This record gives sequence, C-alpha cells and structure tokens, in this order.
Amino acid sequence: MDLIAGILHTSLLAGGVLALAALGEVLAERVGVVNLGVEGLMALGAISGIVAVVTTKSPIAGFALALAVGLSVGMVFAAITVYLRANQVLCGLALTLMGTGFAATIGKAYSGIPAPATFTGLEIPYLSSIPLIGQVLFTQNVLVYLIYVILPVMLHVLMFRTRHGLNLRAVGENPAAADAAGIDVQRIRFWYVTAGAALAAGAGAYLTLAFVPSWSEGVVAGRGWIAVALVIFAGYRPLNAVLAALLFGVITSLGFVGQARNWPIAAPVLSMLPYLGTIAFIVVPVVAWHRMRQAMAAPAALGIPYYRDLR
Amino acid sequence: MAIRVQRLPSASPAIALAARAIAILLALVTAGLLLAAGGAQPLKLAQQVLKSTFGSGFGLEDVGLLVTPLILTGLSVAVALRIGAWNIGAEGQFYAGAFAATGVALFIPGPAIVMLPLMFVAGALGGLVWILVPTLARAYADVSELITTLLLNFVATLLVYYVATGPWLDPGGHALGTTARLKHDIPEFIGMVHWGFPIAMLLAVITAAAFSFTRWGYEVRIAGSNPQAAKYAGMPFRRHLIVVMLLSGAIAGIAGMLEVAGTVHRLQGGISNNFGYLGIMVAVLARGSCIGVIAGAALMAVILNSGIILQTQGVNTSTVLAITGLILFFTAIGDELAHFRIVSSKPAEA
Repeated sequence: MDLIAGILHTSLLAGGVLALAALGEVLAERVGVVNLGVEGLMALGAISGIVAVVTTKSPIAGFALALAVGLSVGMVFAAITVYLRANQVLCGLALTLMGTGFAATIGKAYSGIPAPATFTGLEIPYLSSIPLIGQVLFTQNVLVYLIYVILPVMLHVLMFRTRHGLNLRAVGENPAAADAAGIDVQRIRFWYVTAGAALAAGAGAYLTLAFVPSWSEGVVAGRGWIAVALVIFAGYRPLNAVLAALLFGVITSLGFVGQARNWPIAAPVLSMLPYLGTIAFIVVPVVAWHRMRQAMAAPAALGIPYYRDLR
Repeated sequence: MAIRVQRLPSASPAIALAARAIAILLALVTAGLLLAAGGAQPLKLAQQVLKSTFGSGFGLEDVGLLVTPLILTGLSVAVALRIGAWNIGAEGQFYAGAFAATGVALFIPGPAIVMLPLMFVAGALGGLVWILVPTLARAYADVSELITTLLLNFVATLLVYYVATGPWLDPGGHALGTTARLKHDIPEFIGMVHWGFPIAMLLAVITAAAFSFTRWGYEVRIAGSNPQAAKYAGMPFRRHLIVVMLLSGAIAGIAGMLEVAGTVHRLQGGISNNFGYLGIMVAVLARGSCIGVIAGAALMAVILNSGIILQTQGVNTSTVLAITGLILFFTAIGDELAHFRIVSSKPAEA
C-alpha cells in the first residue's frame, strides 16, 4: 500500500513538472509557433526559483520570479520568431543552449544548496482522510491542483468553447484566412508564445522548488524535450497533455522506486526509462492508430512564419 | 518615390555571408558585455585567448584536437539537413560510436593495424544503429526525427555512464568512472594532433563531392529542397532519406570513435564535451555545406578552446554553451534579415 501511495505521490510531482511545460508548449504550438527552447526556459526558471527562494525564503517568490523571467525571455523569443520571423527551429535550439548554459553559469554558486523553503503539502480537511486515495490526492501542494485541474480545464474551455479560442486555433491552422477575417495574427502569436514560455520557466521552478528540491547542473535533464514530445503525443490538447504528463510521472517514479528498493537493475538503466518511454509513445500511436491521425494532427501552419504579402 | 522593404525568396550569397559575419560579431560583443556585467574584463580575456591560441604551436594543436570531432558532428548534421532532416542526436550517436569502438578494443585481441580499422567500423556502426529507430520512424510513420534523435542522446549518455562506472570500469582502479586505457592509439599526425584530423577533413571533402558530382547527390539535394517535386520526378524519396540519415548517424559515430581512440583513450561519462550539440552550430554556420563545415568547425573549436583557456577566469564550459547559443540566435536573425532589400519605387502610373 505504502508502495503504491509513494509511486502516486512521486508521479504527481514528476508529472506536474512535465504537465506545466507541456501546457506552455501547447499554447505556442496551437498558434503555429514551435518553441524548442523549453529545455532552456526550464533551466532558467529552475535557477531563478532557487536564487529567489534562497534570498527570500519564500517559494512563492521563487515561482513568481521564474514566471517573470520566462515572460521576459519569452517576449524576446516571440518578438524574434513572430515579428522578425527568424527560423523557429534555430531560435529554439539557440534558446535551449543559452538558457542551459546561462543557468549553469549562475548556478555554480547555488549548486547543491537545498531550497530553504519548498512548496509543501496542504492537507485538505475531510477529503484527505478518504481511505486509499485521500492521502495521495488531497495532501499535495497548492500548485498540484493548479497544474492538474484549474489550468488545463481553463485552457481547454478557452481553446474549444470560446470565440477567442476559435480565433487562436485559426491562427495556427490557417493564418491567411484568420488574417482575412480580421484577426491580428502576429499579436495572438506573440502573446501565446510568451505565455507558453512563462509556463515553461514556471515548470523549471516547480522542479527545483517542489520536486528535487535544489539546483544542480543538468537538473532539467531533458524534461523540456520530453514535454515537447508529450505535446505531439497528446494531439496538441491541454487535457490530454496533462494526462500524458501524469503517465510519464508514473514511468519516472517507477525508476525512483526501483532505486530505493534495490531492484537488480542499475540506476542509470532505470533512468533511461522516461526517454525510451517518450520515444515509444510518439512512435507507437502513429503506427497503431491510423484513424486517429486526422484528429491528433499538428496545426497546419506549425513552424511556418506568416508573411501577409506572400499569401 | 516611396521606399519600402521587400522580401526576396532567397537571399543573395554575398549579403547572406555579410549578415553571418555581422551576426557572429554582434553575438561576441553581446557576450563580452554580459561578461563585463558579471565583473570580468572582456578585452583582457580576448587578448589572453588570442595569445594562448595563436601565440604558440601548443595552442593551435589544442584547437586541432577540438576541430576533429567538430568537423564530423557538424558534417553529420549538415548531411541530414541536405535532405531536410534535423539530426539533433549527433551527441548520442557520438557516444554510441565511442561505446562500440571501446567495446571492440576492450574485448577483441589483435594487432593495432587490424584493430584500429575494426574500431573505426564499429564506431560507424554504433552511430548508425543509434539513429536507426528515428530514421525508420521518420521514413515510415512521419514521426519528427528532431525529437526522437534528441531523446536518444540522454539514453546514450546514461549508457556510457553506466558501462564506464559499472561493467567496464577500469580493473586497475586508477581512475574513477572510466574504462581501462585502450591498447591501441591513433598515431599522431602533427604534434599532438592525431590522424583523425586528416580523416575528418577527407570525409568532409568526399561527402561534398558526392553531393555535388553524383546522381545520388543531385537527387538528395532535390529531395531536400522539394520532396514533392522529387517524388513526382520518380526519385525514391524514402530510400534517400533512410540512406542519408543512416550516413549522418555513422559520421557522428566515427567522431566518437576518433575521440576515444585518438584523444581521450578511455571511455568515460562526458567524453563528448557537447560536441554533438556544437555540431548543430557548425552545420548551421556552414549553411549545410559540407566544405563550409570545416570553417564552421574551426570557429567553434577556437570558441571552445577559449572556454578551456579562460577556466581560471571564472568562464567555464556552460558559459561557452551560452555564448554558442547567442551566436546561433544572432545568426538566425541575420539569416532572415538577409532576405530583405530596400527598394524605392515610383508611384504606380494610372
């Protein structure tokens, strides 16, 4: 019993990091911009979170600083990919290199310092005493509810149940048509890419403020790239993205449990699981479910800059 | 007379090159300003770099050692780009090549004259195997190779870390986390620089020639710039894609083999020094040209070497990675701006 509760607890934490980053990427990709800088943004968020929490002792300040950093860096990235229309793949890779390198440079001084305060569990009265699931689901930190329930539901409603959501999806599918209908394509792209970047940085802060919780070089360890892959697997839908992230949380936590319980598999081999799992999960569905392809397809204008005069 | 900006479908080569140069310069200046903000003296650092790099034969030899893997990882990415595929996994294929070559060296006895070529083949095969799944997934299911190749980097890193600290750990026990010293070294070419350097140059020239002068190369270039047209003209797009991607992986694997047999002599975690990721930079700087890769690799090697020289000054490999990202960022901007030209047009006549 303890084992299962432990797995679920770790899964929620590990999955939360991926979910937040994946939600951010869903925002950017739905409006037609592929942001490959998630890994770098997460590194920047992770170090910002630690720097702020070491100074102020408040995890909320850490999370807020990470969001602010993500917002500012995201604006630069969005301005250059959306308004200047520079190559999105190159800019994303550049952002990953810059973010990872810059965070590691600043992080030298903070390496290995445990976060003095973290997002800790909040016991919800009555619900937390439900047998079996109560302890796991209702003693989590505040952000868990935000990441798994509030944010995805809000985004889902926004995207699929409002006029504005229709507009933003139109921008990602057919920007020329959206433009003709009077939608400001570049402005919508700019703000959604920026918001997505802020969420990615927030995911980094969640990693160092709730999950690990300390900074070390390489702490992000490809989670940004897994998040990008999850978005494909989730068919660019917020609710699916969060479920997929949770599934990956489970895979990650199996590795941890294996290490803690001395399973006869070497730790580095167990650590390969999330990466191999991700590859399996983006390859297998395409091969297995041909009929789902249409519904799960990428936005038609993904990765293509929009020039009004080249319509 | 109205002045307006016009975007051309392709930039003129001269302007593109100028935009490149300006972008790299601006990136380095920005890096200098950031370093200055961090309390360093960028001009002094630059002077120190120039002196230790070009002031002595040793400096140039250091660069020569770094340039070998960079040419090959750059070539690996550039080759894939020719058919429009992003091989972001050169890092993983590098590790896989080093792993395979080390395995052969550790477990098969034989004289160097037989073993070195065998390790070379093993390295190429290691890289090829590592890109096999992403290649087939892209060719038959249209799964983005960008993400699959990248994710395998982490698996390869963990694999090498695992064998170097576990099953293949040096039984002599002198060094922590490395395998035993390999019995066979690639002989030296000039100074410390081993024969891997001319081999890498030769591979770059051969690939460039194959793309320029063979029917295969012509078809791959067409397939890369317009897959629809290639299919319509009856060119086997899928077969070309598979061959080119496997070749790309094999080249990165060879880079790993040369590094372990020529420079490091032991398999250990972190052996790749980010060469795979820097290879993306090299290929982009070379605009996907196989000969241009040599120039791009030389530039990256000098930058990487600067990071090593400046280690005592608080600059480290992460700083170099950040500066590299900055260069890539400015290059991407410069590339796009090079497409624009300012035209003055007379008002349209009625």
